[in-house]
Amino acid sequence: MKRILLSLLVLAVIIGGVYWYVATEKFSDTTERKAAYTVNALDFIKEFLANDSAANAKYREKIVTINGTISALESPDTATVNVKFIDPPTGSYIIFAFQDTHLSEGKGLKVGDVVSIKGSCSGGVYSDILEVTKIDFKRAALNK
Amino acid sequence: MKKVFLLLSFAALTGTVFAQKKTTTSATVAFDASTSIDNLPKAENKTVIAAINTTTGSIAFEATVKNFAFTNPTIQEHFNGANWLNSDKFPSFTYKGTITNLSAVDFTKEGTYKAATEGTITVKGVEQKVATPATIVVKGSSVVATADFSIKLADFGITGAPIDGGKIAKEPKISVNAVLN
Repeated sequence: MKRILLSLLVLAVIIGGVYWYVATEKFSDTTERKAAYTVNALDFIKEFLANDSAANAKYREKIVTINGTISALESPDTATVNVKFIDPPTGSYIIFAFQDTHLSEGKGLKVGDVVSIKGSCSGGVYSDILEVTKIDFKRAALNK
Repeated sequence: MKKVFLLLSFAALTGTVFAQKKTTTSATVAFDASTSIDNLPKAENKTVIAAINTTTGSIAFEATVKNFAFTNPTIQEHFNGANWLNSDKFPSFTYKGTITNLSAVDFTKEGTYKAATEGTITVKGVEQKVATPATIVVKGSSVVATADFSIKLADFGITGAPIDGGKIAKEPKISVNAVLN
C-alpha cells in the first residue's frame, strides 16, 4: 500500500513538473538563436513572388536573417516599431515587428539605414486589399 | 491654357478619388482566449493590413495567422496546429464589412464618431457574419478605427478538450486598432 502511494506521489510530482515547465516556457531571445537562412531583402521578396508555396515551405517558422536598406518605419503603438523592406517595382514587402526587449533597437532605426535583422518568419501571403505580397516576421532583433 | 486647366482638374480629381481609400500595414489585432484557469492563450498581431473607404464606408482587414505572437511556444504551436487554426492551410484571417450608419461619420471633420459596422469574418475558410460598434476618430488626414467583439470558436469548427476543460475561452475577445492614412 505504501509503495502504491509513493508511486502515485512520484507520478504526481513528475506530471506537475512537466505541466509547470510547459506553462512557464518562453521563447528564447532571437539573438540567441541561429538563423537557418541569411538572405538579401529584395532577393527574399523575389523568392516569394516567384513561387510562394515553395518559399513558405522553406522559410515559415524558421529564424531568418534579412539584410537590406530600410524602406519604411511604422509604429502601431508606443510599444512597437515595424520595419519594412519594400520591393519598389511591385510594392511587395517584408515587415518586422520590434517589441519588448528589442523595442529600443527599433526606435534607433531610420529609413535608409542598411541593416541586418533576424526574426521568426510567419510566412508570405498575398493581400487582396493592397494587391501585393507581404512577408511577416515576429520576435525581431537586430543581427549583431 | 484650356489643356493645362483640364490636366490640373484631372490631377486634382484623381488625387481626391485616391484619398478616399485609406490604408495601413500596421494595424493591431489582439486575440484573447484566456480564462480563470489559463492566462496564456492571448496574443497580438501588429502587422495587420487594414483599409477604409471614406466614401462608401467599406472596411477590410487581413491578418497573417502565424504572426499572432504568443509568449508560450506550446500555445503558439497549438494555435497554428491542424486541429486549431490550421494556419499552414489557412494563412490569413480576413474581415470585409461596411459602416452601416455612414452619414453619422464625417471624415472631413475632426472628431470622434460612433459607428455601427456589419461584415463577414473568415477564419479557417469559414465565413461568419459579425455586427459590432466601432469608434472612429478623425484627426487631420488620419482615421483611427477601434472595435472590440467576440467570436464563437465553435462557429468556425474549432473545438476540443482545452475548450471544454475551461483552459481556452469558448468566445475569445478580439480587439482591433488601426491608424489609417
